Amino acid sequence: MFDRGILLQVLWTSIAAASFQVLLTIAFALVLKVTKIWNFAQPALMGVAFYTLFVAVNWVGAPIPAAILIAFLVTAAFGFAIERFAFQTLRERGSESITFFIFTLIFAQLVIYVLTLAFTTEPVFLFANMMSPTTLVGGVVVSAWDVSSIIVAVVLTLALLVFLRYTRLGQYMIAVADNADLAEAYGISKRQSYAAAMVIAALFITAAMYLFGSKLAVFPELTLHMMIFAVVATILGGIDRIFPAALAAVGISLLQQLSVLVIDSRWQPLIVFSVLFVAIIFFPRGIRLPARRVVGDGRTGVGTAEAT
Amino acid sequence: MEFLGSMLIQIGIFTILATSFNLIIGYGGLMSIAHPIFFALGAYGSALATLTTGVPVPIGIMLGAGLATLASVAISLPSLRVSGDYLVIASVGFQLGVLQIIKNSEWTGGPGGLSNIPPLIDTTGPAAIWSYVAIVALAAIATILAVRRLVGGDLGRAITAMRDDEEAFSALGHDAMRLKILLFAFGSGLAGLAGGLYGHYFLFVTPEQFEVLYSAAMLTMVVVGGIRTVWGPALGAVLLQLLPSAINFLKLPSSVTGPLQGIIFTTLVLVFMFARPQGLLGRAPGAQVVAEEDDPLEVRVK
Repeated sequence: MFDRGILLQVLWTSIAAASFQVLLTIAFALVLKVTKIWNFAQPALMGVAFYTLFVAVNWVGAPIPAAILIAFLVTAAFGFAIERFAFQTLRERGSESITFFIFTLIFAQLVIYVLTLAFTTEPVFLFANMMSPTTLVGGVVVSAWDVSSIIVAVVLTLALLVFLRYTRLGQYMIAVADNADLAEAYGISKRQSYAAAMVIAALFITAAMYLFGSKLAVFPELTLHMMIFAVVATILGGIDRIFPAALAAVGISLLQQLSVLVIDSRWQPLIVFSVLFVAIIFFPRGIRLPARRVVGDGRTGVGTAEAT
Repeated sequence: MEFLGSMLIQIGIFTILATSFNLIIGYGGLMSIAHPIFFALGAYGSALATLTTGVPVPIGIMLGAGLATLASVAISLPSLRVSGDYLVIASVGFQLGVLQIIKNSEWTGGPGGLSNIPPLIDTTGPAAIWSYVAIVALAAIATILAVRRLVGGDLGRAITAMRDDEEAFSALGHDAMRLKILLFAFGSGLAGLAGGLYGHYFLFVTPEQFEVLYSAAMLTMVVVGGIRTVWGPALGAVLLQLLPSAINFLKLPSSVTGPLQGIIFTTLVLVFMFARPQGLLGRAPGAQVVAEEDDPLEVRVK
């Protein structure tokens, strides 16, 4: 029905386009896993990261690595401040989840309004020249942006996996995510883990917004729409499961890109919303593979291999 | 005089919106930001019904409210089946998805919206405006009284119990999900009613009037006025209509006025959340918390 070349091209483009979505999903899923907060303030961090990059590159004329570092520091400071001054205060008060919800949402909206006032609603690109060198590989057009995006996403994802599994702080974060009070009883600082989750999320968000902004235009309110993708992927991956959420992000991106072959592109954003409702109705706990039976001495029952 | 009338109509409409939102988010403890889209469904549903089928405007408004009610059940039923957290996610997705449909469909007028909507009162001049003020005021007062009655009686006690401890509530044999869906549907239907009244007064609707950022204004009315208070959202609606009008007198460019209003709304919410979480009309922390038989919800302030 469709030309093989076109299908391969769409497939490649989908995987490349999924790179920044994977990073944003991991940021969202990590904060949810460790802090148990649906961080709807993530669009605020996304906006801060992108516009700091924009100012650093276009107004200050900073070199790209310096701009990325500055953007990360500013975004991390924002994330840390949200955790330290808002989430912690609300936790200490014993606030209900609805209070966290209102705070995160309103804070995101406040930052979007501030960015709109400062930068208007006009979409802006990070760089004056958005063209990326391309090469033809087996009939598929591969751009330098595609390759670098995929590499960044893969490297950061693997680095997080290693960090969570093999570093002390990473293991503390997992312990806090599993049972914060018990972890604290063993001398692990909940606050440190919560703050670390926000700072790591800021790193992923900065990388994602750099990749996105170096290919597509951004306007303040767009960040709110972009977050939905991360939320859907987090649900599909199974809440509390960071890396399956990242895989779900790739899957949704594939679905979204492939949909252009059958439906009008103006309806493409609806794919995410449709997946959201399908996920809520049919996979509310995420798509999970059947649990693996643990082969052992017979005393153990059924185990799962999920580490994070 | 027309300006004053218009402002009173907007205050009335926003009182209905804020009061119904307070019912959902405050009394019900249901996390949703989709209220603007139910407002939109009421406005668009009523406008399309009257424009395309020629039904009388009051019937159109009822149809719009019915559409909002049906849509609210459609999103709350699957999401609440899982957990309350999913309602907010479904509401965000629903809000953005429906706006996408409205913006891209020809039958909704696309980004330009619908115009030439038939008016509820088919005359012009001050008498028509003041008649509309009276209708909207009646609807707003009826909404407040309905919510007061709803949260003040046995059902109100059930709502409080469900919100405070759903497991215990369910263990006593009550159907928490059914109650949540009923609350959400009733509140959303009222938002649809407000949408109908809005569309048939201003006679045009566009998608940008119902964007997600609009939810900040509604949250501001509820939080500033006093979440889980009967009259707080109405006070919030009055304040939040007067405030933008004051900003308009500064004659700033529209590119500044819009974001500035948003910044003020959201900052107010944050200030109240941390400095006075009970809002203007709520009881201060540590205030009298003895249960009162006839007004059990007033004791919820911690």
